[in-house]
Formats: sequence, C-alpha cells, structure tokens
Amino acid sequence: MANPLLGDTPGDTHLLLGNEAIVRGAVEAGIQVVTCYPGTPSSEVPDTFYRISPDGKYYFEYSVNEKVALEVAGGATLAGAMSMCTMKHVGVNVAADPLMTLCYVGAPGGLMLLSADDPGCHSSQNEQDNRIYARLGGMPVLEPASAQEAKDMARDGLLLSRKHGAPLLLRTTTRVNHLRGPVEFGPAPDPGKPEGFKRNPPHFVPIPAFSRPMHVRLMERMEALREEAENSPYNTVTGNGKYGIVCSGISRAYVADALDNAGLADKVTVLELGFSNPLPENKCLAFLQSVDTVLVVEELEPVVENDLRVLAQKHGLSLDIKGKDVLPRNGEFDVTMVENAIREGLGEAPVPTCECSLPELPGRPPNLCAGCPHRGTYYAARKVFGDDAVYSSDIGCYTLGLLPPLQTADFLLCMGSSISAGGGLAKASGQKVVAFIGDSTFFHSGLTGVANAVFNAHDVLIVILDNRTTAMTGHQPNPGVDKTVIGDNDHPLDIESAVRGLGVTEVRTVNPFNQKKTMAAMEELGTMSGVRVLIAKEPCPLYTRRVYKKVAPQVAYVAESCTGRFDCLDKLACPAMFKEGGKAAVNPILCNGCMLCLQVCGHIKAKKRGS
Amino acid sequence: MPDTKKIRIFMTGVGGQGTLTATTLLAKTALSQGLTVTSGEIHGMAQRGGVVESTVLIGCKSPKIGIGEADILLGFEPMETMRALPYLRQGGLVVSSTEYMPPLSVAMGKQECPTIDDIKKAVATCTSKVYFMANQSIGLEAGAVQSGNIAMLGALCAAGELPFGPEALEAAIKANLPAKIQAVNLKALELGVKALNS
Ligand code: SF4
Ligand code: SF4
Repeated sequence: MANPLLGDTPGDTHLLLGNEAIVRGAVEAGIQVVTCYPGTPSSEVPDTFYRISPDGKYYFEYSVNEKVALEVAGGATLAGAMSMCTMKHVGVNVAADPLMTLCYVGAPGGLMLLSADDPGCHSSQNEQDNRIYARLGGMPVLEPASAQEAKDMARDGLLLSRKHGAPLLLRTTTRVNHLRGPVEFGPAPDPGKPEGFKRNPPHFVPIPAFSRPMHVRLMERMEALREEAENSPYNTVTGNGKYGIVCSGISRAYVADALDNAGLADKVTVLELGFSNPLPENKCLAFLQSVDTVLVVEELEPVVENDLRVLAQKHGLSLDIKGKDVLPRNGEFDVTMVENAIREGLGEAPVPTCECSLPELPGRPPNLCAGCPHRGTYYAARKVFGDDAVYSSDIGCYTLGLLPPLQTADFLLCMGSSISAGGGLAKASGQKVVAFIGDSTFFHSGLTGVANAVFNAHDVLIVILDNRTTAMTGHQPNPGVDKTVIGDNDHPLDIESAVRGLGVTEVRTVNPFNQKKTMAAMEELGTMSGVRVLIAKEPCPLYTRRVYKKVAPQVAYVAESCTGRFDCLDKLACPAMFKEGGKAAVNPILCNGCMLCLQVCGHIKAKKRGS
Repeated sequence: MPDTKKIRIFMTGVGGQGTLTATTLLAKTALSQGLTVTSGEIHGMAQRGGVVESTVLIGCKSPKIGIGEADILLGFEPMETMRALPYLRQGGLVVSSTEYMPPLSVAMGKQECPTIDDIKKAVATCTSKVYFMANQSIGLEAGAVQSGNIAMLGALCAAGELPFGPEALEAAIKANLPAKIQAVNLKALELGVKALNS
C-alpha cells in the first residue's frame, strides 16, 4: 500500500508532524522535483519525501550541499517543474549565492525554499532569522503556525510561486517543524510531466544588460504579490478594542492561547500575518489606524515590527508600536511570556509564578553513543597529540567530542570549515592543527577546503571521520555510502581517491577501533608537514543496525580482576560503562560491542552477546 | 471539534526510551476522542542519552509548554521528573517513574542523582497529586522495557484528569501500533492501570 501522504484521499484527517504536513502540501500542489541538504529541524521533510519516493510522482535527491540543492531545483523550475528545496536556516547561507540571483531569474515552474529556522538553538550554532533573506532577495514569505497550515501553505505557496514565477520562502521554526496536529487532506492530482525549458536568454541569463530589467521585473512581481498578500486568507483581523496585536509564525499560536488564558480575547484586535512578505500595506495601515497601541509578537528579529514602523512613519501615524522593547530578541517565546507582555500593555497584573526552587541536578549532555567509531579516533588523537595540537572541528555527531574526557573540538565555524579554518590557524600561528571532518561534511564543503589547503600549502592533518552515513541528522545517504534504507547506492564515491585526486599524497586509511594502527598512522602523519589525510573508516553502529540489520556478536564485560583504576571510564567515557561497588561495569544492553575498551584496559573482556 | 477544557501535558525522558512513541500515541488517542490536540517534541543534538521533552496539549493552539503551564507532568525517568518540575503548575498531576537511567557523570561516579526521597519531597512542594511507579520493571513484566512508557500512559488515563479513560488508549493501541507489539503494550497498559490503583 502506498503511503497515505501520497493518496488522492480528500477529506481524510491524519495526525502529522509539521514536516510531514509540508510533504503532503507539496504533493497536493503537484510537486515534481525535490532537493535538499538535511539539517535539523528540517530533516524529516526530505526524509519523508525520500522514504515514500518509490511510490511518488516526483524526482528526489539528497544533494551534496545546500547551494547545489538550490541550483538543481533552480534548473528544474526553469524546465517548468514545480520544485522544492529544503534546508535548515544556516543552510541558506550556503545557498545564498544562487538564491539572490534566482530571485532575478525567476521560477517558471514554481520554486519553494523551505528554511527551518531554530530560535533557541535547539540543534544549531546560531538563531538567524531568515525572513531577512527574503527581504534581501525579494521573496514572498509564508509562515505556518500549525500542522494544518504547514500543509496548506506548502501547497498554496507552490501554486503562488508558479503563478508569479517567484521563488517563495516557506519559513518555519523548530516548534512548527516538530509539532504534531490533525491535518485534513485535500485532493492530490497527478502532476504530469513538466513543460520543458523554453529558451529566453534575456530572462534567464543574468549578464548585466539583462539583469537590470530582471531587477525591474522582480520589483513588479513583488508588487503583484503585495496584492495577493492584501487578499490572502492567511492575513486576518479578529477581535476588537483599541489595543492591537500583530503576530506571525508560531507566535500566532502563543497569542491565541495567551488571550484565551487571560480572558482578554474581546479587549484586543489581532492582525495575524501568515503571509508576511511583501507586507499587505493597505491591510496593515487600516489596522494601525483602528488601534492606538500595537504590540508586535514575533520571535527573533524585529522584521514585521520595522515594516510597521516604516509604514506608520510614511503615513504620519503617531501610535505607540511595541515589540522588541518588551519581548526578547533571542530565544523562543511561550504562552506565559506573551500573556505577560499583553497584560503589561493593558495595565494588568502578570501571571503569578511558582516559587519552587530546585537543587543543581547532574546534567545529561548528549554524548557519542556507545560503540561510536569517533570515540576510537578521538581517544587515539588524545593519546598521540594530547594538548599539543589544536583541534579544528566541524558539524556532525563528532562535534560531541568537545566534551571531556576526549576534548577534541577546540573551535568550529560552519560546515566544512575545519579544514580551511584549521589551515588558516596553522598559517597564522605555526601551531600543529588536527582538523576533523565527517564524510557527509567532506562532500558538502570539505572538498574545496582540501583543494585550497593543497594549493596554498597549508600545514594541516585532516582526519576524515568516515562513518559511512550522515549520522547526526538521521542517517541520510551521502555520495560515499554503500547502502540506504531504500536500496543500494549505485554510484559510491571513494574518499581516498577523491583526496588523492585533489593532490594529497600522504593518505592513510584505518579502522578507528584498531587503536594500534590508528595511533601508528597518527604518529607517522603527525611528524610530517603539509596536507596529510587520515581516513578513519568504520560505520556508525546505529546505521549498521538500521540499514545493514547487523549487530556486533560480542559485548564487553569487566572481569573480577578490575582494580578500580577507572581508566576506561575516565578516558573513554563510553555510555555503556558505569561504576559499581568500586569497580567498572558494562551494561550489556547498551554495549555495541566495538571492543575499544578491551584495548584500553586488560581487565575488560569480550563475551558472546546474550551469554 | 467540541470546546474542551485546556489540558497541557509535559513529558520528559531520556533519548532512546520511547518518549516520542508514547507522545504520539497519547496525541492520537486524544484525536480519536474528537478533541483538539497539538503535540510537540524537542530533542537537541542527542542521538541517544540526552534529555527528550515532548508535549501533548488538548484544546490549545500552541505546541509548547512554558514554565508553570503544565497541568500534568509525566516523567519517564525520576531525575528528569525533578528537572521538569518548574513546568508544572501548582497543584498539577505528576506521574513519574522511580527507576533511574543515570547520566554519564553519575555512571562515572563524578556526580550523584538525587534520591527518590529528595525527588518526592521536591514534588510535594508543588503538588499532592502524585503517582510514582516502577515503569521499567512493569515494562519488563509486560514483555519489553519500553512498554513501561505505555504503562505510565495507562496510569495517567486511569488517574481521571483526562477527558478519556484507559479504554480510549486501548483502542488507540489497537488502531495504531504494529500488530506484533500490540499484546505487550496492552499488557503494559493493564499493569499500569493496576499500579495506579494499588
Ligand atoms: S565494547 Fe566497550 S567501548 Fe565498545 S560499546 Fe561496549 S562498553 Fe562501550
Ligand atoms: S549516531 Fe552514530 S556516529 Fe553519531 S554518535 Fe551515535 S554512533 Fe556515533
């Protein structure tokens, strides 16, 4: 049976994750091409597309990075295909170059960019607000607040994008991507075949002479879209009263619940902007004229707030506009926070708070899993280089090596930066640099870093942590993998040949669970200079279990002879190990049988799993 | 959908414990009763072993529960129950496991978890509506340690604070869980209800 997300079953209601709802919306619009680079909180969108792709009527790919993903989708929309490209907020930085020009060139088949922003940095290095990209490039923006809207806006956004030939931004935040709610399905017609490319250089080739009129067309398109925003059912005014609230995105849900909690729903007028760019100026102006105070409730940057201030100034309105002066510019909102801001504006007492205080509790930071091959690599690096090397890290599970006792992440900028920033640091300071990068990240943007390091004669030892998958975001395939959840990789790329092809002559490949060989290779490469590469190759055990359906036949146990020295716990910190009665012990349920600890202490032995 | 009283349920546990499966099941149960429901989940960088927090909200639009907003706190691990206490509103309901999953620092002997007594005392300052149960043992008795979570859901449904009882959860298990794990989870549900009443 095909997945319900693909069925033409209007009227059905399913409880969906926001990210699954986006997939359904795209299917209802007639999506033809989907590209992505995975990144939390966006990952379940492409993962769902991928999982159901054998039955779907669209082309799907995991591209090697966001820039490439957007370029592939850009080419597809020029061929008339309704296209979608998904990424997390920082991914848009990678894709920013083609994005800015795509807004000029346009999207004949329709093109929706999903940017999953992450207020609160739940799984990201920053909190950037990508609504600003939309203003920079000139893109319409839809901001859903529920699972139903995630579905409806994905569908309507794609159709709107095709209608105007305008690349559109579907901007979500973590709470929307990861909420679950009922979604009522609409029809899902067969999308048929894309029309194909129609040659028209003045429209599609941005040489300066053509770009200038393209920019004019872009501005005209935005004016036409402003009309759409004026009439959009996603922009609504409700309630009455002289106190006005303007909200967008998930903040709309917080406002609704806050007003309900406070019983203030009839005392305020609320303008919800689900279609927030271009600003529906007439609607907003009428709203601003109908109230005497406005509170703008939006997470992160004062984007709508500033738009409204400009509008008010333009029309000589003197009403009081509040926003970032009463609500924070960082992190997430919640209902009580919003309720208190509204109460304050209306001169009411804040919600009473509970005074319970808790003692400091032991933290539960994320840690590399039991049996993670990165632990083997990091343990060896610590032994060989200790604190003498500076460890340049990158984005992936392996960043977790920053915690003690491994402490193998000293700095980090972004995807692929370990090699290039590591090279820069070494050039500037002459310090020994060991740069760690994962296999997926290597294909994402490590390749260019290697080319740069070789060309500019950087002095850096690059350790490629090849766990045969993209583990952190949920085991998505990358060009190097052998197998995926839905089948074999027909074109596996070999990292060692790639590195050699880029001109690195000193390349070694080891299994990080073989500590002797790994340390020997590190010592050897450590004494050389120039660009050297060590490939630590061993699949992620979670991936092995899920995709290869294999588990290690053995588990570790600590023999009676354990002297309580605790080197294993103190230096390896495998989560399967614990202290018990002055001795070390292994939890056989958590142990993944990597046999690393056996090489650290002679009192640890192997036994058959389950015996 | 009928106009219902708002109920906010905050769930917390450790990655890999099945917190999210339980969350979705509870949300589906509420939906099957014709209730307005949203639910949310936050799991940071942890593949496994980190804290997982999730929510089920009945009659609300927001998927998020802020400090002091939860009517019900469901803690699948006792120390996480304690950590999440600030989310509970005064007088809310707590259903918590008594069986620890020690974090690494504790396993390594560097820090100590609060005792169950400490945790009970802390909870008592917020509410008197509290049920503690040994969810992993109950899960094992039912046939799979993860089903302990379903036992806790069963106890929650039987506690009388939700607009539906254990029968609704039973029907949702039958409708939504794969056939091969249904029996275990139905057994866990039964044991959970029993644990609440004993
Ligand atoms: S073999 Fe040792 S290091 Fe490997 S997972 Fe088991 S306990 Fe951890
Ligand atoms: S998911 Fe895989 S690669 Fe990531 S920490 Fe766990 S074992 Fe290591």
